[in-house]
Amino acid sequence: MENNEKFKLQVTELATRVNGEVEESFGVLVLKVNAPYIIETLTAAKQFADGPCDFLHDLCGMDLVDHFEVVYQLTSLRGSQSLRVKAIVNRENPVVDSVTRIWQGANYLEREAFDMFGIIFKGHPNLKRIYMWDDFEGYPLRKDYVTEPIELRNITRTRIEGE
Amino acid sequence: MSINETEELILNMGPQHPSMHGLFRMVIHLEGETVTKIVPKIGYLHRGMEKLAESRTYAQFIPYTDRLDYLASPHNNWAYVQTVEKLMGVVVPERAEYLRVIFGELARIASHQVCIASTALDMAGWSAWSYAFRDRERICDMYEMTAGSRLTVNIMRIGGISAEPPAEFWPALQSFLDDTPEMLEEYYGIFFGNEIAQGRLKNVGILSKELAENLSITGPVLRASGVNYDVRKAEPYSIYDRFDFNVPVRNGCDSYDRTIIRMDEIVESIKIIKQALRDIPEGPIMAKVPKVIKPPVGEVYHRVENPKGELGFYIVSDGTTKPARVRIRPATFINLQMLPIVALGWKIQDVVAIFATLDAVLGEVDK
Repeated sequence: MENNEKFKLQVTELATRVNGEVEESFGVLVLKVNAPYIIETLTAAKQFADGPCDFLHDLCGMDLVDHFEVVYQLTSLRGSQSLRVKAIVNRENPVVDSVTRIWQGANYLEREAFDMFGIIFKGHPNLKRIYMWDDFEGYPLRKDYVTEPIELRNITRTRIEGE
Repeated sequence: MSINETEELILNMGPQHPSMHGLFRMVIHLEGETVTKIVPKIGYLHRGMEKLAESRTYAQFIPYTDRLDYLASPHNNWAYVQTVEKLMGVVVPERAEYLRVIFGELARIASHQVCIASTALDMAGWSAWSYAFRDRERICDMYEMTAGSRLTVNIMRIGGISAEPPAEFWPALQSFLDDTPEMLEEYYGIFFGNEIAQGRLKNVGILSKELAENLSITGPVLRASGVNYDVRKAEPYSIYDRFDFNVPVRNGCDSYDRTIIRMDEIVESIKIIKQALRDIPEGPIMAKVPKVIKPPVGEVYHRVENPKGELGFYIVSDGTTKPARVRIRPATFINLQMLPIVALGWKIQDVVAIFATLDAVLGEVDK
């Protein structure tokens, strides 16, 4: 990208505004912010003057043991700019604002992150489990989720007398 | 209840319904025959791929990616191995890159043939189905010659490709390429030119450009809504910057364009394969990769243009032999979000048509 420097400047400016940190990983800028700033950050990224990141490419949760992260991959259909925004979410109280008001496409992705990590997206129209069944207990992709050992998987029920 | 009153009917379609492409279920609320609400239920094929990846080594996860979009398995391998290669900084030999492009584009053709065939089948066009499947067999034969399997090919390796195609592969590929214009003419004649097919698909399920962008839709579905975007052009991965091809775009935004755009894409894929055959060099097909794959600490996101949309892999490495997190961005899972919005107000048979043109493969939707 030609105006790479300009783009980088915008991101760093945004980072100071939302108390975030900027890193670079494999040529992609990574902006880490705290969960309460996420709507402000993403709205600003969508309206960048040079290279707006207006396409939500992916949204996923991540478990870093002491906290969660929600990772937003932003790109654009009209340029090669891309930005990765990470929202740092408290593990005890995993709440983050839903971005479905900015991108409707976040609907299923947020439901998936809720299903797998138990991250609650405030303002989501229909926050229900998407892959697992409704009364499933636990959040499978958390690092502390105990997958049952293979020996226990096909438990044959012992027959009770008189049954 | 008097005879003039109506009540809402709830219809359960799937998971084992002939027109559901896999284990997909939707609960359709109907007013007469008109759809008032659709609730898609997914997860019947959920295998927890992302969790499985965390307990396997990097190389052990490659066969699992075959089971994502199983109609285009080389593409899923490709996306995954490229992500790991990017993380490790492996440079793939030229010949392997060309072979990857050839297999990737063959997979694209095969996947689009299945889309055309199954859309025809959902419109009750039984004979149109058999034509496209007949031709897809030839691609499966070519897979079998090289990799030994026909569906879940598992042909890519970290650093290259698993096997050199045998001598009989090249004439088979050449004759396939020579026959494609005739094949496409046949598909057109028996399906797209058919009055019933056009009546069922044209102007059904309009997905506007703005809505498509807002819903994060990618792939042929996006391009049929008039957006010229293809990762192969926008951010060329592998060696796609060396080939001369066009990105087919259509402006109809309807089910018909979402299906016929795949015919245009087959034409472009043929062009790419022909150029690859012309330029393919001799040489090794595997780079020197350490026996134990241990990428440095870091994270990388990589996306490729799958036949059905953009497939992305986000891999986080903690420096051990197993990944800390593998995130799969499934294209059709996200594309599926348009169904409950676009299908409102249409009849049941139109819902079937709209769903067919999305070309959803539940292996990818459910992961």
